[in-house]
Amino acid sequence: MTRLTATNLYKAFGRQPVLTGIELTVPEGSLTAILGPSGSGKTTLLRVLAGFERSDRGVITLGDRVVEDGRHYVPPEERGIGYVPQEGALFPHLTVERNIAFGLSRLERRDGRIARLAEMVGLGTLTGRFPHQLSGGQQQRVALARALAIEPGVVLLDEPFSSLDAGLRASVRADVQRVLRDAGTTAVLVTHDQDEALSMADIVAVIRDGRIGQTGTPQELYEHPVDPAMAEFLGDANLIRGSVDRAVATTPLGTLPLRSGTTPVVTPTAAMVMVRPEQVEIWPGAGVDGLSARVVESHFHGHDTVIRVLPEASSGIAALVARTDGALALAPGTEVTVTVRGAVLAWPDA
Amino acid sequence: MTVATLPDPTHVPAVHRRRPRALVGASVVVAALLILPLVFLLLQARQVGWGQLSALLFRHLTGTLLWNTVRLSIVVTAASAAIGTAAAWFIERTDLPGRRWWAVLVVIPVAIPDFVVSFGWVSVAPSLHGFAGAALVMTLAVYPLVYLPVAASFRGADPGQEEVARGLGLGRVRTFFRVTVAQARPAILGGCLLVALALLAEYGAFEILRYQTFTTEIFTEFQVGDVPVACALSLILVLLGLVLLTADGFGRGSGRTSRSGPSVARARQPQRLGRGTVPVVAGFVVLAGLAVGVPFGTLVYWLLQGGRTTLPAAASLSSAAWHSAGYSAAAAALATAAALPVALLSVRYPGRTTMLLERSTFLVLALPGVVIALALVYFSEHDAAFLYQRSPLLIVAYAILFFPLALVAVRASVAQAPTGLEEMARGLGCRPWSVLWRVTLRLVAPGLAAAFCLVFLSAVTELTSTLILIPTGAQTLATQFWAYTTNLSYAAAAPYATVMLVIAVIPSYLLGRWFNRLPSKAATPT
Repeated sequence: MTRLTATNLYKAFGRQPVLTGIELTVPEGSLTAILGPSGSGKTTLLRVLAGFERSDRGVITLGDRVVEDGRHYVPPEERGIGYVPQEGALFPHLTVERNIAFGLSRLERRDGRIARLAEMVGLGTLTGRFPHQLSGGQQQRVALARALAIEPGVVLLDEPFSSLDAGLRASVRADVQRVLRDAGTTAVLVTHDQDEALSMADIVAVIRDGRIGQTGTPQELYEHPVDPAMAEFLGDANLIRGSVDRAVATTPLGTLPLRSGTTPVVTPTAAMVMVRPEQVEIWPGAGVDGLSARVVESHFHGHDTVIRVLPEASSGIAALVARTDGALALAPGTEVTVTVRGAVLAWPDA
Repeated sequence: MTVATLPDPTHVPAVHRRRPRALVGASVVVAALLILPLVFLLLQARQVGWGQLSALLFRHLTGTLLWNTVRLSIVVTAASAAIGTAAAWFIERTDLPGRRWWAVLVVIPVAIPDFVVSFGWVSVAPSLHGFAGAALVMTLAVYPLVYLPVAASFRGADPGQEEVARGLGLGRVRTFFRVTVAQARPAILGGCLLVALALLAEYGAFEILRYQTFTTEIFTEFQVGDVPVACALSLILVLLGLVLLTADGFGRGSGRTSRSGPSVARARQPQRLGRGTVPVVAGFVVLAGLAVGVPFGTLVYWLLQGGRTTLPAAASLSSAAWHSAGYSAAAAALATAAALPVALLSVRYPGRTTMLLERSTFLVLALPGVVIALALVYFSEHDAAFLYQRSPLLIVAYAILFFPLALVAVRASVAQAPTGLEEMARGLGCRPWSVLWRVTLRLVAPGLAAAFCLVFLSAVTELTSTLILIPTGAQTLATQFWAYTTNLSYAAAAPYATVMLVIAVIPSYLLGRWFNRLPSKAATPT
């Protein structure tokens, strides 16, 4: 259990800057997700933390130990970091048992740790198998057990579920989350999948263009994104132009209460207002007080229905997305009225 | 053949990792050793002096040799390209009856040394010599060098392209030339290069067929002790080899093959031969009869003859076999060990310097055995008399000569072993040297075994440099066979060729097993 920090981290490949001043703190024992679109530098960050790449500038500490600054560089084998790569990367010439035992000394292999780990990841009976005899999910579990075997201060997971198919992904995710919690290890998970980050992690750090754009708990990030782009990146968002004054936002959808966290203003100011789809309510017909609109399309997902509507032209809103529970079947072209439920977040124009 | 690799966005290019000094050091030493024969050749040429060299170069004999060498190379290369490509297409892409058997049969000539093939032919048809004889015999001996890469390329290429071409209204023949041959072009060119280089280097077969080329003439001059002439001719021979390598580089640069869509090949529908079946099968029967039947038939014939007349002393046979196997195994181990650092460096740490280093080792391809052997003789006479006609010199000559084979095999398996695993091992606390031992070597073991077998197989059947460098008093299977053949004691020679083939077959078999046993799954973790 170790705290991991990265301060002012820079890394470029040739002339291509990849990391441009990363600031990251991973609290002891937490599962922190680094979330970013592909090309944002998240894998590079992980490789620099593991020591497979050297940073150009910056400081990395593991607990009280500085593992990299301008002058010192601790090679990966001395960092005590467990690394779980995308494809598992099991040693194809070794059995499950010997894969798990790879990082252990002869003495450490005798303390029953291997069997315990195999049991923990649910592969107690498969220790004699070779990697190619395992399914993708089983391979990932072995990779995790192998990483945990060396009792690492921190476990780094590089998109460990992206190569699994959707059905398997959910169960392997849950297992990994449980194993990491039981082991109490500090873990860093790199992913491009918002659902994965929001549902698994204690803390999410969103990486954009080589730096951390926002860090917080999943709820904080979802409810209080720092800017409209972040709002769109973390889940669906309707972004509407309007104005704010003190505690309310005025929009074509009506006057809406502002959520705490919006930059306070004391005079009416133009602003971008975020309305999450689940806040949008759809009423068939025109009997309710709200914005009239016409249904464009409607997708039924079982647990909810996503409806896209086109508000009347005078509103100036191109489209609105609503998520309603239940099976509200509305044919395209149906006249509806739209209202908003709850408080909204807004970013006053600077 | 090199496969163009696109940079994988999820993986950071290895260029940015620091090259380990030990690896660079070892590779530089290997490259330097490989270039040594060329250096010795140039030193020798300088000693002879330009005046004398130019007088020797611009005379009638040189012209004759050049004409002989070039016209034979053109005819045999063209014939091998045609036979090799056609055979590969029929076996890989059509419903030819008995495809699996033909696939084995048409490759066999590659395991028979060329001088044994020509021995077979000359003993059936003593009048067969000169250009026509050389062209016929050499084509039958070397066409598998085209067949093998082309067949592999057909197996890997996308058959959908042929179907699309047919769908777009191209006939069978036009589809074959515009799509199929275009797909296999790099493989065909690669095979042709091997054929042409083999022709430049061949000595034994031409000597038996009484066809004069640069190599046979260099050998003769060496035997009569005319160093300046041997040196001058060697220069031209090396130059021809370099021209071929350069031309190949250009020919390859413009070719692109690509494959779109998922990389898993569909089970393909072989093309129907229909009424063409009978003539095609007849063609395969003739090819196998000429290329495999004649050498084996004559060998068996002479063995049976020998049974009635003079059998060589079993002691001499086994001693020759021991020498052959011993020298070859030592050379195979040496070449494989030398190939490992170069392969690791070139695959793991690509870059301009690394590429230059790797390319320089390929210069050896332009050096025929006779030139390497003479360069080493020159070296030992001048600088290391204690090595002259001692086994280390022969072993080193083999290792240099067959280094490119070892490199190809080791490189392929290093390229297959994912780098992620080595990083993984370091992440788990392994030191770099320990990673080499516990991970890298285990993963590339099949490649190392393949390299060992390839070099061993080639060294056992090597004749030219063996004749020059054989340690005093020792005999190998090849030199004994040669001694009897040149005395026209065919029956006495046959057992040596037979044992040579048997010894060469074992590594071939192992080689085949390694490649089959290595499931693609085991090599790349899924």
